[in-house]
Amino acid sequence: MSDLAVAHGASRRFGDLLAVDDVHLRVGAGEVVGLIGANGSGKTTLIRLLLGLLPPTAGQVRLFGEPPSRHTRARLGYVPQSLGLYDDLTVAENLAFSAGAFGVHDTAALQGDLAAVRDVLVHELPLGLRRRVAFAIALGHHPDLLVLDEPTSGVDPLQRARLWETIRASAEDGAGVLVSTHHMSEAEQCDRLLVLANGRVAAEGTMDEVVGGTRAVEVRTGRWEEAFTALDAAGLPVSLVGKALRVPGADREAVGRPLAGAGVDADLGIVPASFEEAFVVLAAGRAA
Amino acid sequence: MSAAAGRWGVDGLGVRYGGRAALDDVTFEVAARSVAAVVGGDGAGKTSLLRALAGTVRPSAGTVRRPDDRRIGYVSAGPGVWADLTVEENLDFAGRAYGLGAGRLRSRTAELLERTGLGEARGRLAGRLSGGMRQKLALAMALLHEPALLILDEPTTGVDPVSRVELWRLVAGAAAGGAAVALATTYLDEAERAATVLVLDQGRALLAGTPDEVLAAVPGRVVEAEARPQGVPAWRRGARWRAWSPDGSPLPGTTEVAMDLEDAVVVAQLAREQRSAA
Amino acid sequence: MWAMAMKELRQMRRDRRTLAMMILLPVLLLVVFGYAASFDVDRVRTVVVGPLAQEVAGGLPDRLQVVETRADLGREGAVEALRDGEAVVAVVTGANGDAAILVDGADLFSARSVVTELRGRPELPAPEILFNPGLDTSTIMVPGLMGVVLVFVGTIATALGVVRERQSGTLEQLAVMPFRPRDVLLGKLLPYLGVAAVDLVVIVAAGMLLFDVPFVGSPLVFALGAVAFLFVTVGAGVLISTVSETQGQAIQLAMMIMLPQILLSGLIFPLQAMAAGVRWIGYLLPLTYFVQVARGVMVKGTPIDALLLPLGMLAVLGLAVLGLSIARFRRDLAPAGRRHRHDEVATVGAGAR
Repeated sequence: MSDLAVAHGASRRFGDLLAVDDVHLRVGAGEVVGLIGANGSGKTTLIRLLLGLLPPTAGQVRLFGEPPSRHTRARLGYVPQSLGLYDDLTVAENLAFSAGAFGVHDTAALQGDLAAVRDVLVHELPLGLRRRVAFAIALGHHPDLLVLDEPTSGVDPLQRARLWETIRASAEDGAGVLVSTHHMSEAEQCDRLLVLANGRVAAEGTMDEVVGGTRAVEVRTGRWEEAFTALDAAGLPVSLVGKALRVPGADREAVGRPLAGAGVDADLGIVPASFEEAFVVLAAGRAA
Repeated sequence: MSAAAGRWGVDGLGVRYGGRAALDDVTFEVAARSVAAVVGGDGAGKTSLLRALAGTVRPSAGTVRRPDDRRIGYVSAGPGVWADLTVEENLDFAGRAYGLGAGRLRSRTAELLERTGLGEARGRLAGRLSGGMRQKLALAMALLHEPALLILDEPTTGVDPVSRVELWRLVAGAAAGGAAVALATTYLDEAERAATVLVLDQGRALLAGTPDEVLAAVPGRVVEAEARPQGVPAWRRGARWRAWSPDGSPLPGTTEVAMDLEDAVVVAQLAREQRSAA
Repeated sequence: MWAMAMKELRQMRRDRRTLAMMILLPVLLLVVFGYAASFDVDRVRTVVVGPLAQEVAGGLPDRLQVVETRADLGREGAVEALRDGEAVVAVVTGANGDAAILVDGADLFSARSVVTELRGRPELPAPEILFNPGLDTSTIMVPGLMGVVLVFVGTIATALGVVRERQSGTLEQLAVMPFRPRDVLLGKLLPYLGVAAVDLVVIVAAGMLLFDVPFVGSPLVFALGAVAFLFVTVGAGVLISTVSETQGQAIQLAMMIMLPQILLSGLIFPLQAMAAGVRWIGYLLPLTYFVQVARGVMVKGTPIDALLLPLGMLAVLGLAVLGLSIARFRRDLAPAGRRHRHDEVATVGAGAR
């Protein structure tokens, strides 16, 4: 498996701010890698380093074995969160523009329901179709590396599954895919995850490896409002799930004490933390 | 219509924009002290439902039960904060709009700034806040007057995970305080946290009930495999494929998986597609 | 590079407002400079007063177009006629030789053409120029420019203010808050009206102090005209905001409305010098009437009863534009009719709508 994109000890400094700090990342052909980070984690800056929009202030960035350049850009497909489509052009016109820009003449013809809307103005299309158009265009010049920013946000589960079919299909064809996301529903679709916090890599591996042993305390009680108020007042990161409460990263005693103090009778159980909860614990740990 | 018990919602709601039906015969109930989620993709009708509930669109059919304007808090998908005003000025404007007296406005503002962690940013322009902080500000503005009905349109879309957890905590806090919360989202894992769920697809109800009821209502079983199973509806999930066996019969080369809400919705959507294609 | 050009061309074809600007604007300028841009006034309205009125009227040069002869009026009546805008030239005939030709200096270009004409007629008395004896351009331009400023603040600033709300998505938020649509509208407009008022005072002061522009007439009448004019411009601003999605579109539309007003309202090129086919456009523009009021009151001291037509037109236009814009604005803000005071609201659907 060859590496299509590599960041080796990459750092990027802006004045006093070290936005990206000694990050190692690699994306190989045929795999889908997820890049996760909160705002301010350096995720956006890292992507810009990989795309060649910024040079690193330390370390190396390599695309297809060489430093990013106009030449490597031709083998790259990028779909930003805003999709990068011209709203006042039709689907076909957007495709023509992209083909012209990349100097490609044998673009794959639009398939299926995309073909049906080729003469429709982009701003008249619903979000799901718009995303698929953006993908089709990014894939139009047969890139070896795809960089996708939150590719499935805002669409329903079926459309999400269909979009992932397209992404997986290109990975199976040999492309490498880097997905930048905030969200569990996208993170769980990736082969491997890289979690960034404060510019550094906080965790790496599959979803299970990243969530790892993080646990949460689940509280079941008939008086959930009082339990919530008591735990919230004690400064614990409590959240409501259905009718139960969850406190990630805490132990039974830390949760039991404020409940007892408020006179609330509850059943406490230890459960595996969800992805978001694990992430928050990781990010908090990193900030220290 | 037992509004006295704090049960708001819509019955048989229809909403039309021009010639197009955005919602058709939708029923959705929001009870005090709980969170009711409405789920669906873009164009499913979530925003139309919430707008009808808030009173900013007129229904073409059905009834809407909601409290007086002054007891509703609304966070639009957007969100609705004034970018050229500071955090404090935004809260001030919202407080005055809802008729809060100077004293109460001061104390509520201080309280909410602390709970949302926006205290240090109080003098910053709202346009310069990160997405997560802006959503927290919008939520604070909607909570100033302690509404009986809190309506949130996609409050966590595009928000980083840390802020998302904090927003959920604030929402739960509002429910604990007695509010009825209606929340629209495209994320199924978020919907799973709610007490009741309504799944919309192209303006119609697809599934409804508590998360457990919704799962139980989906017949058959969901299975998983490395390669795409043939002859049954299948979809990608991660590196593998999932498929639905409608009558519950096992499929060769597959293993059963516990169905989650996302599976349930995909199955329901696929089933609907098949029916309309037939 | 070609791909880029192709894309721009396609986008340009679809951007209707920009296209309109690029096509209509040259057409407008052509019309203006072909038919409207002229400083030569061919026919100047004249009244002849005094005992010899009838006889003298026939012998006047062609340029002086006699619209009325009043043997019963004397010099005073003649001055009033000029002040009230009934005519630009008044010929006073006197039995005992106190004949005079009075010219309204506030109608600058008409006055100049009369003066030039009469230079070639030494047998007639030398014209006396009233109200603007020096025939100063600034004296009559400054009042007109006030109108331009009011158009700017009223229309553009207001349009932007409301569109900004729509563009940032906060209009929806406002719709849910317990505001009445008129609260929102008036609350939004008040600061702009205040700024416009301050602007006006500053310009009047500057005009008087720096450019020696007189202020002969009643400030009250002037204020009345200004208020009526503001209603129209602000109403236009709100109307523009209801048909614009972005601030860019709002500005485009506002510019397309402002430019004809500046060129065809008599501010620069006198209305009488325009071909009749174009002049009627001027009579539809609110700025035309404000300029009449401003010049009349400031330079000539015209009383209110002589300004009823322009004030009336401004009031009518104001009501129409403001009424229409409020109706459209309300539609954006309160479609479901939400004003209720009880605890529970049950809205029953209206059936097919």
